[in-house]
This record gives sequence, structure tokens and C-alpha cells, in this order.
Amino acid sequence: MKRIVLAVMAVLALGLSLLTPAFAQSKGVVYYLVPTLLDEFQTGSVSALEMFLKQTGYEMKTLNADNKTDAQQSQMNDVIALKPSAIILAAVDFNALKPSIEAARAAGIPVVEFDRQITSTVSDFTSVAGTIEIGYVAAEQAEALLKAKHGDVKGKVLQVLGDPGDPYTLDIQKGFEEKMKAFPGVTIVSVPAMQWEASNAGTIVADQMLANPDIDLIFSHAAHLSVAAVASLEAAGKKPGDVMMMSSNGAPVGLDLIRKGWLNVEVEQPLYAQAAAVAMFMDKIAGKQEIKAGDYDVLGLKGTVTIEAWGPNIKIPGAAISKDNVDDPAFWGNLKPPTAEVKSVP
Amino acid sequence: MTPRTRKTLEFILDNLVWFMLLFVLIVFSALIPNYFQLGIFANIIEASSVLGVMSIGLSLVIIAGHMDLSVESVAALSAMAVGVLFCSAGIGLGIKLSPEWLMVPVSLMVALAVGGLIGLFNGFLIVKLKMNAFIITLASYIWVRGVVLAVSGGRSAQDLAPAIRWFAIQRLLGIPLTAWIAILCFVAFSVMMAKTRFGRHLMMIGGNETATFRAGIRVTRNLIIAFVLAGAIAGLSGWLLAIRTSGATANLGVGLLFNAFAAVVIGGVSLKGGIGALPGVYAGVLLLSSINTAINLMGLPANFTQVIHGFLVLAAVLLDTFKQRLRQRLA
Repeated sequence: MKRIVLAVMAVLALGLSLLTPAFAQSKGVVYYLVPTLLDEFQTGSVSALEMFLKQTGYEMKTLNADNKTDAQQSQMNDVIALKPSAIILAAVDFNALKPSIEAARAAGIPVVEFDRQITSTVSDFTSVAGTIEIGYVAAEQAEALLKAKHGDVKGKVLQVLGDPGDPYTLDIQKGFEEKMKAFPGVTIVSVPAMQWEASNAGTIVADQMLANPDIDLIFSHAAHLSVAAVASLEAAGKKPGDVMMMSSNGAPVGLDLIRKGWLNVEVEQPLYAQAAAVAMFMDKIAGKQEIKAGDYDVLGLKGTVTIEAWGPNIKIPGAAISKDNVDDPAFWGNLKPPTAEVKSVP
Repeated sequence: MTPRTRKTLEFILDNLVWFMLLFVLIVFSALIPNYFQLGIFANIIEASSVLGVMSIGLSLVIIAGHMDLSVESVAALSAMAVGVLFCSAGIGLGIKLSPEWLMVPVSLMVALAVGGLIGLFNGFLIVKLKMNAFIITLASYIWVRGVVLAVSGGRSAQDLAPAIRWFAIQRLLGIPLTAWIAILCFVAFSVMMAKTRFGRHLMMIGGNETATFRAGIRVTRNLIIAFVLAGAIAGLSGWLLAIRTSGATANLGVGLLFNAFAAVVIGGVSLKGGIGALPGVYAGVLLLSSINTAINLMGLPANFTQVIHGFLVLAAVLLDTFKQRLRQRLA
């Protein structure tokens, strides 16, 4: 028995000794608190952040909150005790995490908001495409699609939201409807797909196509919802192009649907650029140095840093993906990570 | 009360959930624009196919006096297994078999095997090792969803082979074949529960396990079979889910478990075991699906839909409780 215990201890010691040099080479450990891993954007963000932070000398560890606010709050408390170089937070709930962010900053740990902007308290850096802005871009695309079909901006839009408890989808809805208000000839029917579950979206589309057969455009708030929507349209005997479709987040499945002719537009969240921006500024964030306002080149995209009431904020606008540019490797949905190395901002 | 009145009242109570369904359909048809049309009724039947099949498996173990919280995750894992093997986009491997129709039985066998094996695992721990069904199946609910996530890496499989998708597109009497599969399952398992020795033994085990054991009935074997069946049926619902959505995502089926429980309870299955019939469960599933469709068509603000959904389910369960009390008074 003693021999077995000794052998196990020896293996553990060997393992630890192998790990030590890795820590020694790193500038520090950064924790990424991801809201869920049940979504392609979020899993993509883990690998992108890990890759870019490694390029700038940081080791990243990820904690998944499974879309539970309380779990993310506990994770924040645990991570604060570990005193990492920084915490990257993609909040489950935009406001509920405010006390945890303040606690981390009070403990001297910089907090970075990723993808989900928190404006109710100060953070050390925020990297977003802007969820309301995604709604704006989607509205511009809807305007163009409806105009091309009817010669005027009018018609009926079915908006398939995500879970109504998720501020992310509510912000996209807010941005989209705010812009579409300018067109009184457009009717928007909004229905939530509970828990972002694909078959719920399929049911919504199947029902709405019968109740409102004059629907011109279906706008789903995530590409995976569009997959189920397409399945329902297909089951109803529709062909690609019969109903215009649009979704947001730029996931690989959305790009595939564009190639197949089902989806007209996918509003991309510039995942790689958002993640690269965090890595570019990590030295300044961890070192608590000043981040200056201005335009920065982030993987070839223009990122604008502004100093807001909630701290330095870089905004990289999402692009509209259509059949013309779907194969552009810059879109994260094509799963071709940039080959150029990210450098820290001096 | 005359015997005839009593008989009529008992008939109504026995089939109350069907009357509730009829009532709800009439009210929704009258009040919600565009609700009253054959296409919407076909949608209700189609949308209830996955939940319906899942509820059958859940009912079997509940009637046998246990429970299975893992059915939702098992369905998700089966859907993901089918998606990974037979989808051609996303993480799908796009496996092709020749002739193409072979993909149907093979994918079905994969889904059933995944579900059946997890059911066997649950059954072994619960029945043989006498561990608590709630805890064991809760653990399975968690770890099986974890496996879905690990297998998929959070990505989705898309574009299911047309030979398999055929079941969602082809219709018989205006209803998709997937819904006919669910209906056939209800018929087959209703007959099994009412007319076979195994079905009757499950009822007896759920009513009084010790007495059933003392009567010489093989309780352990029957219970393990019930768990394997529940798993395999959940696997079948996963197969239908993959067909319905033309693939699988890591969060596919999330929330189905609670709807399945609601359907089972509304359908008259006692959570204490020993009481329940599958036709009632199917009516419960259709009732929930009718409510969902109504909510979809009402165009309510997104924030309120869950509240309304919850209250409507509560109303249905309260009505069912009222039925049980009335039945006790009649007895």
C-alpha cells in the first residue's frame, strides 16, 4: 500500500514539476467566466481568447456558468480569492454581476467585460460588438431586403427571439425595433424561443407560417435557431428563397445556410477581433496603465476605443454576411483563426 | 345519484383530460385569430411528437413507482449521436450507407442503443444496488448533458441525411410521419400496459412493491426492464428531435423534462406510482402543445409568455386535482 501511495505521489510531483515551467514563462493567469458552453459563439470565444492571450504571454483558464447568474457570482468570488492577473467576464446577467465586479476591482483585480457590455459600474476594459448595434445592423439589412422585394420598406417580419430572460436577445430586439419604427409599413411579430432551444424555434416558425402566411422575412436571434426554422419551412414544402431569412451571431451553421440559399443575411459578431482586442490591451489592463481613446487596428478591422462612464470601451462593429462575402476567412463562422500574431499595444 | 348519472360522471372523470383538451381547443379557436385551421391542428400533433414519446418512457417508470430525470439529457445525447454520424455540416461526419434507406434503421438503432444503455445503467444502480432513483437519474441528467457538450464541443451538427429527414417532410393524412410514429408508440405502449402481463406487473409494483414481490412476481427484472425501456424511448424521442430540427445542437431538448412531467401529471399518472394510463398522457401532451401554439400565435410580449405558460399548466393540474377529489367522493 505504501509503495502505491509513494508511486502516486511521485507521479504527482513529476506532473507538477512539468507544469511549473509553463507558469514561469507566463505573464500571469487570466480567468475567463463564460456564460454557457451550449452555444457556438461562446465555445468559439473560449478558444479565440485562449489563443490570443497565449500570443501576448498570458495563460487563460475558463469557468462555465451554465447560464446561471448565481453560479457566475460564486465563480467570481472564488476567482477573486485566487488573485489572477485579470478576470474576463461575459456576464450571464448584465446587472446582477455588478457587486462581484466591484468586489474584484476592490481586491485589485482588473475586470474585462467581453461581448456583454455592463454600463452600471466601472470596468477596466470592455470589448463588444454591441448587442443593440447588432439590432441596428439587422434592421438595415431587413430594410434592404424588404425594399428589394416590395420596392418599398413594407411587409411582415417574424422575429424569433432567444430566451426572454436573456438580456442579450432583448437588446438585439430593442435595437432592431428602434430602427424599424421608421417604417410604419412593416409589421413585426416577435415570439421567444424559450431557453434558446432550437426545436422551440421550429415550432414557432411552423405555427406562424400558418397564422401569417404573408411573412416576408424571418429574423432569428441566433444561427442555430435558423437551422430549426429552415427544417420547419422545408417540412412545409418551402424551398430556399421562398421566405427571406436573417439571423445574428455568425455561427458556422448560419454560414452554411447562406451557402445553401436559405439564409439571406447573417449579422456577424466579430468574435476574433473582439477576443484579439482583449489580448492586445491585456498588458495595460493587468498593469493598470492608462488606455487611450482612439482608433486601433484589430485584425484588420477598425476598433474604436472611447472612454465611457463605465471605463475604456472598444467597439468593433459586426458585419453583414451574405452570399457575396460568405467565404471571407475573417468571419469566425468559417473557423479559420487568423494566422497573424496579436501584439500587445505599447 | 342514479347509476346512469354515476356512470356518465365516471366516464367524464376518466376522460377529463380529453374534455379539457377539447375545451381548450374550442376556446383558443374562438378567441385567437388564425388558430382554427387544420394546419395548426396538424402542427399541434407534430410539435407534440418528441414530448409525447419522451412522456411514455417517463410514465412507465413513474407508474412503476420510480422516476427518471435523465430522459431529457438521454434524448439530447441520442440526437447528438445521430447528428454527429449522419449530418453533413457542422460537426457531422456525414456517414453515407448504401442503399440510403439503411441509414434509417441504423440511426434508429444508434439512438435506441444510447438510450437503452443509459437506462440499463440507471436501472442497475437503482434496482440492484438499491440507490435512490431521484439522485441517480438526476446525476445522469447532469452527466449525460455533459457528454453531449463534450462530444459536440458546444458546436452543432446540421443537415441530416435526406433519407432520415424524409420522416419529417412526408405526410400521411396531413400529419408528418414523425407524429404518426409518436401515435403508434402511444397505441403500442397503451396496449402493453393494459393487456400484457408485464404492463400489469408494473402497475402492481408501483402500487405496492413488497406485496408484488411476495406474490412471486420478479420485481427486480421488471423494474430494470422499465428503466431500459424509459432510456430507449428517450433515445427514440432524441431520434425524432434530430429529424425535426435536421440535426442537433448542444442545448437541444433543454426544458423538455419539465414539460414531460407536466404532461404525465396532467394525463392522470400518479407520482406515487401504481395509477395511470398512457392515452391520458397523450392528451396531456396535446394539451400542452395546444397551449404552446396559442402562446406562439397570441403575439404577447416575450417577457410574459413564460408566466402565462406556467399559469395555464397550473390551471390544468388544478383541474386534475379537482377531478381526483370528485372521484374520491364518488367512490
